[in-house]
Amino acid sequence: MRPLFLALLADDSRYGYELKQSLEQEFDEMLPALNAGQIYSTLARLERDGLVVGRSVEGDNRRKRMYELTEAGQAELTSWLETPVPGARLKDEFFMKFVVVVSAGLAAPMRLIERQRREYLQSLRDLDAVLADGAKGPTAELMVEGAVLHLKADLEWLDLLEQRLAVRKEST
Amino acid sequence: MTATLLKLAFAGIRSRLLASVLTVLLSSAAAATIVLALEVGATARDPWQRTFTAANGAHALANVSTEADAQAIAALPGVAEDGEPIPLANVGLDGETDRLQIAGLRSPARVNAPVRIEGAQPPANGIVLEQSFARALGLQVGEALRLATARGPIELTVTGTAVIPSQPRYPRRNPGLAWTTRSTLERVEPDPGRWRWTQAVRLADPSAAPAFADRVASSMPPDSAAVETWQDQRAAALGDAAPTRIILTTYTIVLLVVVFAVVAILVGARASAQYREIGLLKAVGLTPRQVTAVFALEAAGLGVIAVVIGFTLGALLAPRLAAASADTMLGSPTMAVSPWHLLAASCPVLLVLVSSARSATRRSTRFSVLQAIQSGTPMPAPRSRLAHVLARTSLPVPLTLGINDLLARRHRASRLGGAIAVTAAAVVFALCMQASLDARPAGEASDVPDELPLLVYTLDAVLLLIAATTIVAVALLAVRERVRDYAVLKTIGLTPGQIASSLLGAHAAMALIAAILSVPLGIGLYVAVYGIAGGSSEDRVIAPWWWLALVPLGAVILVTLATSLPARLATRIPTADALRYQ
Amino acid sequence: MTHVRHVLEARGLAKTYDTGGPKVFALRGVDLSIGPGEFVAITGPSGCGKSTLLNLLAGLDRPTSGQVWLDGERIDELSETELARLRRRKVGFVFQFFNLLPTLSAAENVELPLLLVGRGRKEARRSASALMGDLGIGDKQDTAPTQLSGGEQQRVALARALANSPDIVMGDEPTGNLDSAAAREVLALLRAARDRGQTLLLVTHDARVAAAADRVINLRDGLVTDETELQAARPVALPFEHDEFG
Repeated sequence: MRPLFLALLADDSRYGYELKQSLEQEFDEMLPALNAGQIYSTLARLERDGLVVGRSVEGDNRRKRMYELTEAGQAELTSWLETPVPGARLKDEFFMKFVVVVSAGLAAPMRLIERQRREYLQSLRDLDAVLADGAKGPTAELMVEGAVLHLKADLEWLDLLEQRLAVRKEST
Repeated sequence: MTATLLKLAFAGIRSRLLASVLTVLLSSAAAATIVLALEVGATARDPWQRTFTAANGAHALANVSTEADAQAIAALPGVAEDGEPIPLANVGLDGETDRLQIAGLRSPARVNAPVRIEGAQPPANGIVLEQSFARALGLQVGEALRLATARGPIELTVTGTAVIPSQPRYPRRNPGLAWTTRSTLERVEPDPGRWRWTQAVRLADPSAAPAFADRVASSMPPDSAAVETWQDQRAAALGDAAPTRIILTTYTIVLLVVVFAVVAILVGARASAQYREIGLLKAVGLTPRQVTAVFALEAAGLGVIAVVIGFTLGALLAPRLAAASADTMLGSPTMAVSPWHLLAASCPVLLVLVSSARSATRRSTRFSVLQAIQSGTPMPAPRSRLAHVLARTSLPVPLTLGINDLLARRHRASRLGGAIAVTAAAVVFALCMQASLDARPAGEASDVPDELPLLVYTLDAVLLLIAATTIVAVALLAVRERVRDYAVLKTIGLTPGQIASSLLGAHAAMALIAAILSVPLGIGLYVAVYGIAGGSSEDRVIAPWWWLALVPLGAVILVTLATSLPARLATRIPTADALRYQ
Repeated sequence: MTHVRHVLEARGLAKTYDTGGPKVFALRGVDLSIGPGEFVAITGPSGCGKSTLLNLLAGLDRPTSGQVWLDGERIDELSETELARLRRRKVGFVFQFFNLLPTLSAAENVELPLLLVGRGRKEARRSASALMGDLGIGDKQDTAPTQLSGGEQQRVALARALANSPDIVMGDEPTGNLDSAAAREVLALLRAARDRGQTLLLVTHDARVAAAADRVINLRDGLVTDETELQAARPVALPFEHDEFG
């Protein structure tokens, strides 16, 4: 969240309420709902850490405080942009369920896989419908394509799990 | 690099054994006919020499109008040995159109003496016939010969047969020759004014015989003397083989054409089947020229084997072919094996093989390496105009599909069609020849040796066998190349019967067209050969139309039979497997 | 009670290959039924028998045991000739490697099934042109298949499969040899065909194709392990609805 703030201030200094607007407009779905208070407290923290500096303008009203990036803030932003997102994503809720089911014998693992597969396929169908619609902009479509590819990979993973289960069953 | 190329060429021969065997057989046939053509005349050389020696042959033989002229010739300088002047009378046979020249011998001839084959020496009251004349008339020793003279028929007993180096085979030399005593001759033709005289001389310098002959001719009144040198006699004897040689030359050309077409088809098919391999070869570093060289080397290698086989065959068969001329000579024709003939046979055969292989591979090597390795199959040729035209007609679907397939490989189709046309033309040729022979009046001896029709039919049979084998091979090839397409067609809904008929129908249609074209081609060939052989155009007979109609009919039947096995195989391939076939 | 006749039905289908070596049990007893207008996908790892199953259902191969009914008619005991005639009218097939006849132009490929059922050449060409136009390749009628891109070839193949308005179109990895853009186009065309009432049975390992189906049958080791029915697409809430890139 903090890097977002820094990024929004990167090209121009802005008023606090402008920041709130931008956040809501552009990154609305990706973030939990933010109220004004949370936004201003984040700004305050950034100011305290020396990453942004606020200037009161005219009426010395807090709402009309203009914020801009400090050098340190710039440096932090650059560092955030240049650091690649970690590749190995080893957190998967389904896999957690799967491991639990197999080790603790809580349910039939095959059924688990089948249900998950249905969900993945259905999601794939949903996303494909979005793309087929063509009503969304290119940015949204790119995001959907990404999700589609992840789903395809996940489905492949399900096949692999299923195959290993079968082998395991045969050997016991 | 040459060693690698040679290794590749040898491997290529080994891997396509059937095609290699077919190529060798075909080329051997061509080589054999070349050798036969060269040797069939020469096989008579030795027997003629034997006859000449046995007869104490004449280096110059003069035929003059008076005994005095004959004696004058004997007195000319350069004469080492001379015989008595011998009178000749020209007599007809009773009841026949054949005529006969009878020589009246007072005593055994010293020079150019008849060499007795059968019967006792000397001719007592009978007549000794020249051997080929006796055979043509079917007369045996002891039978009677009726002569038609001015004073009515005279019957003489055949007491023997003989050969003489100066008399070629009857009826090529007409009239025939016979010997009697002088008194018998006087009885047959009492008027000496109607006699001709022959004078046989041997010269001190045999090689000067032509000059001597000129001298004789100039010293005699014009048109009264005819002189034959020993070289002329030998040429006449060897010339017996002339018709055979012409036929053989014709068939050599035909066979070479077929060799070119068939080898081009086989090599072309190899090249496209090994499209991917060729691409790999090129990737490894072989230039297109080197790739072509591999195929050319293979063809040349096969050609060398073929020439050796053909040469052996030809040398062995030549004496048999020339057997007819043995009628006039002592002993049988011998093998005239000459290394020059081997060379002479190699050149055209190897040339045709190598150029055929090169022309077939040139197209296949002109593609990019990547294309070949990726696709594994050659690009089909762009649609010909004929294919476009056919697409608009309402022929049944299997037939248009089959013809499309055929035309997709234009070069192969035209070569196969060419081979069929040329083969069928040879059959037309044989039919015309048979018609000409049949048209002769019965009983008349033929100036064409008996072996000749047999030779022509044998060569035609060889050609037909080759054509049939080629068609089967090409059809099998076509099926193998289209295994997946046939499976796709079955998926779309073509029945196995329709798939078979697409292959059969297209080939039959092509055979029909090729065979129809072959009729004028064959007739033209016959007319040309007949003219070269010196026959008159009145005796020349073209085969009747109902015989000629058999040729296209026979071609269609033959091709249909030949294609039926591959067609059956085409339908047998299990569809599911074939769909995976690359 | 009206009994809706299944377009395709199979019971106890099994196929064993016995070619000298150890026996291969490609299919071990598969039941299947497809109703008119259904879009069914068959998925599974390679070697699971999906292509074998499709070949048996299309009559391109004979089962070792089991029965197949196409449009109510038992097909597993018909002769090759009868099967070919049946397929002409009732089955359209799309292959992974397109399998267009290289010696015919695109339009000639498409009109071939029409000619086989006895339509005249002019009529067949008209239908073929119209169909190719619908599939977006109307300008490629006289082009040779080798000069078309993969996607275009597959569209020609699809046109050929649809030419006789068959009871069912079967496909063996129809997008398997296409890049993702072409695959998407072909999938859209398949969906459009389904929307017009065409029954589809596709074997695929492309999850997107499977997701487009109404029913997904999962095969493993010659047996059906899973059968999923998919619902209509649910709405999805998206970030970036306002265009950052546009």
